[in-house]
Amino acid sequence: MSVIRVQRPKMSRSWYLPGILSGMGLTFSTMIKNLFNQKKMATLNYPEEKYQYSARFKGNHVLTVKEDGDIRCTACMLCATACPADCITIVASEDEDPSVEKYPINYEIDMLRCVFCGYCEEACPVDAIRMGPEWQTPGENGDNFVYDIKHLAYRANLNDGKGVPSVVEDKDRHKLGI
Amino acid sequence: MLKCTINGKEVEVKEGTSIIEAFREHSEDIAHYCWHPGLSVAGVCRLCMVEIEGNPRLQIACNTPVTDGMVVTNQSEMVKDAVKWGLDFHLINHPLDCPICDQAGECGLQDQYMKFGQYDSEMGQAKVKKKKVVDLGEKIVLDTERCILCSRCVRFTEEVSKTNELGIFNRGDHSEIGTYAGKPLNNDYAVNTVDICPVGALTSKDFRFRQRVWFLKDKPSVCTGCSTGCSVDVYYNKEGMWRVKPRHSEVNGYWMCDEGREIYKSTNVMTTDFVGERGSAKAVKKENRLTQAIHINAGDKNYKTATESLNSLKEKLDSYSKAALVVTGQYTSEEYDALLGFWKSQFGTDNVYHWANNEAQFNDFDGLLIRGDKNPNTKGLLQALEKHGITAKKDVTSLSDQDLVVVAGPENQWVYDDIHVIAKALASNKKVIWMSACHVDAAEQAGGHFHFIPTKTFAEKSGTFVNFDGREQSFEAVDLFVDQALSLTEAVALLKGESVELSETNKVISVSNEFVHERGQL
Amino acid sequence: MEVKLLTEHYSDDNYRTLEGYKAKGGYEDLAKAFKMKPEDIISEVKASGLRGRGGAGFPTGVKWGFLPNNGETRYLLCNADEGEPCTFKDRMMMERAPHQLIEGMIISAFAVNSPKSYIYIRGEYVYATRVIEKALKEAYDAGLLGKNIMGSGFDHDMDVYVGAGAYICGEETGMISSLEGKKGQPKLKPPFPAVQGYLKKPTIVNNVETLAAVKYIIRDGAEAYKKHGTEKSTGTKLFSVAGDVNKPGNYEVPLGYPMIDLINNECGGMKNGKKLKAAIPGGTSAPILNAEEVERATLDYECLAEMGSMLGSGSIVIMDETRCMVDMLKVIAHFYHHESCGQCTPCREGTGWLHKLVSGVVNGTAQVSDIDLLCEVANKMKGRTICALSDAAALPVLGIVPKFRDEFQFFIEQGYSKVQGRANA
Repeated sequence: MSVIRVQRPKMSRSWYLPGILSGMGLTFSTMIKNLFNQKKMATLNYPEEKYQYSARFKGNHVLTVKEDGDIRCTACMLCATACPADCITIVASEDEDPSVEKYPINYEIDMLRCVFCGYCEEACPVDAIRMGPEWQTPGENGDNFVYDIKHLAYRANLNDGKGVPSVVEDKDRHKLGI
Repeated sequence: MLKCTINGKEVEVKEGTSIIEAFREHSEDIAHYCWHPGLSVAGVCRLCMVEIEGNPRLQIACNTPVTDGMVVTNQSEMVKDAVKWGLDFHLINHPLDCPICDQAGECGLQDQYMKFGQYDSEMGQAKVKKKKVVDLGEKIVLDTERCILCSRCVRFTEEVSKTNELGIFNRGDHSEIGTYAGKPLNNDYAVNTVDICPVGALTSKDFRFRQRVWFLKDKPSVCTGCSTGCSVDVYYNKEGMWRVKPRHSEVNGYWMCDEGREIYKSTNVMTTDFVGERGSAKAVKKENRLTQAIHINAGDKNYKTATESLNSLKEKLDSYSKAALVVTGQYTSEEYDALLGFWKSQFGTDNVYHWANNEAQFNDFDGLLIRGDKNPNTKGLLQALEKHGITAKKDVTSLSDQDLVVVAGPENQWVYDDIHVIAKALASNKKVIWMSACHVDAAEQAGGHFHFIPTKTFAEKSGTFVNFDGREQSFEAVDLFVDQALSLTEAVALLKGESVELSETNKVISVSNEFVHERGQL
Repeated sequence: MEVKLLTEHYSDDNYRTLEGYKAKGGYEDLAKAFKMKPEDIISEVKASGLRGRGGAGFPTGVKWGFLPNNGETRYLLCNADEGEPCTFKDRMMMERAPHQLIEGMIISAFAVNSPKSYIYIRGEYVYATRVIEKALKEAYDAGLLGKNIMGSGFDHDMDVYVGAGAYICGEETGMISSLEGKKGQPKLKPPFPAVQGYLKKPTIVNNVETLAAVKYIIRDGAEAYKKHGTEKSTGTKLFSVAGDVNKPGNYEVPLGYPMIDLINNECGGMKNGKKLKAAIPGGTSAPILNAEEVERATLDYECLAEMGSMLGSGSIVIMDETRCMVDMLKVIAHFYHHESCGQCTPCREGTGWLHKLVSGVVNGTAQVSDIDLLCEVANKMKGRTICALSDAAALPVLGIVPKFRDEFQFFIEQGYSKVQGRANA
């Protein structure tokens, strides 16, 4: 058994005065800088001002649409399979068009479970789901965060409610063999 | 017995065994598509190539019988190369639309590619396009592009169902499976062709697009569709049961009938129907199973738990002087034993009725599997009645003015055509306790004092069925889909005042996706 | 030098009638055969060394010996489904000397004790069918077919069956399937047709020329027949010569005859004095021989096998220096793609693949690496199917591509044919 002697800080340090003063100095100097040079200000006046994220930002999901406006998704459920949070629910049904064959009549994402990992986007073989730039999603209760197929594909802020066209069109896709 | 060497292993096989059978008997992997143990040899996929010592050319294992002292291998470089190229030939015109193909996950092509292929395809030319979504009949859809022309389905309709609906049309790489004009594939065993299809060319309309197979688990069970008692595998997940497939056994060989494939429907809590056109289509769900005990009093429905309901019944039991029991052949032998034993000690043996739905056709047989007795355990019921010395009466409709009628109702209600008549007849009794797995609409609408107790389906209990020729087949519970459901044994125990440990369904809101990697068989 | 056994009376228009045929000694050999024991006929055919003239070259006597002695009805089928491109020897025989075939068949049927035989004629041979049918009627009327033929006590019925023109029905089991009324697809072997063939009964299938040759073996005796040809390839053989020679046509020469002599002497040399470039010795399924090989080749089973080709059905296609091999191969590949029955996967998919690859060379979509791929695919199709169609499709590729690789490479790199130039591209 032994005793360890601990070096206590001196009086001047134990009052933390230098730290407090230097901190306040920074705050005041920044405040004065911001007052006279608002353009260089590091913060935004949210919600009046909004930050522009890069185009590759992984925000809320978007279901893409084909030229004719139908949803691109073929209900293969690979996204639901890849999803680590198990937040995607798909109900598939038969399409009258044999070249489409299968389409989702229901596609739900529980946004509160979603971890925005982007695996669904990567798993999709037909570019049907993408993570969009949208990140502001307020809601009043839990139900507001279960996005249904209509909301995911055609919500008003996506291309005026017409849905986002996918990068590859069907005829090109067939040509490319994918 | 013949001695031969398979991949360096010295083994003994029966005379007349083909090499492929010897390989499978001694659990050696061998690639194959067209060969099926229940069908004749076609020898067209050319994948089961083996090298036989002393023979410079590769031989197909399915059409070569084992001879004494034969040394066979499929591990040599020559065989591996042949199998690799065999797979490539299969795949060059295959559309590879695995993402929307229902077979993905239990596909012969996928499995064999992972086992024997794993190469980069050298095919750079355009694939042959063929018809997709061809309607073959009431139950089956064909995708001619995915078909690898193994001819298993054609041989099935030729040799097993003997209905000859299918044929291969055209030549070369334009060959495709199809039905003859005016002869759709509607025989009673048609869905077996979907099971034996090694790819996703034939899909069953009933299962098509409902689930991806990797979300399903399977467990062995016994079919409740008729008194044949085919061995089956049931496929289920947390949402319920999705399909039934035959499992090889002495009872049914490799096949089962299409009627038997419907049995899973009685186990599901909800049934889903798709209504409307694309864009506005909706999945409409309807409750199928009884999830709570229901008491109907003058049109009002009161809900209670099954346990509460039985406990209150227990207290009044001694007050009923006139009581009758109606039993159907759809429960396990163990349940009959418990129920009849209890009834005998409580009410005697006079008023026991055997509700047989279509007794006149009980001995019908279609020559393959389907029997007229649509109850899985009529034989077991008769044995239990005999054991307890009860002579069951048949005329259920004559039951009236009873204080209490207990009905062990059918689980597969659609085979009971007379359910409306019986329900109406029983409504005249003072109190009817109807044990049933599913909602009994006929009884719920018949008026009178009906009390429904939810029971377990074959998938939720273990027990024994005795099939038409007295073969006892025991099976294990698959999963619990309704947590209030009781087996008759448990219900009787509650009535006796014994404590019953009721298992509960998994109440987690959402569990992580479950994957089953080894699924299905060629 | 031509040796005329089968073709002796081809120029006689009357020879196709019973009267004319009998005037040249027809059906005398049948009478001779009836005086022999069936076993003796079989041993005579065995001793003659006669080999199947349809393509495979299997010894006929040995084939007949495979028939099991189980008392089942035996069938004799004559394979007149001459589908091999550029072959027309059987057609000529049926059109010019139908009774010769019928007589040979009755003798063969007597030897193998078959009460019923069929002549399976290719659908395109409408004229030949008419001639054969007429000859059959004459033979029936003269009591040469039916009950108690020529007082010998032997009953035999013969029928004509017209196919629908599928190449695959020239394969014996494919022909049997077609004859049974099913889709013409080869059957798995074993069991071989000699054990379980038409209607699951023992069946012998022989080519037109083979059956006709039996007549001459009986007429002259095995020893005399063996004098023609070489030691292992005995007798004479009909060759259908087509292509760039002055006198294309059917020629009967003894086996072992030098190929270059056939071209220069019988066929009157190359057309327009052009240089010989290559020749296919046995129908399109036989690998090609280049000019140097043609100089050395003798027309018998052994020599051609040694050169990596085969005698096949004996149809010789002569090509001069202006012929583009890429084009040639495209035509051949298209033929096999069209004719594959679609049963076995390597053939069903492989023939199509080969055709697409060669078309790619012609269309300008191919890469140089496709030449190797072409050979590789052909190699992997070879010997892996129920019947030999897959081999037949693969062998011309394996013959033409390595020998004329420069032409393929040129075509791919330049986009036009090396021999025919840009004008024909």
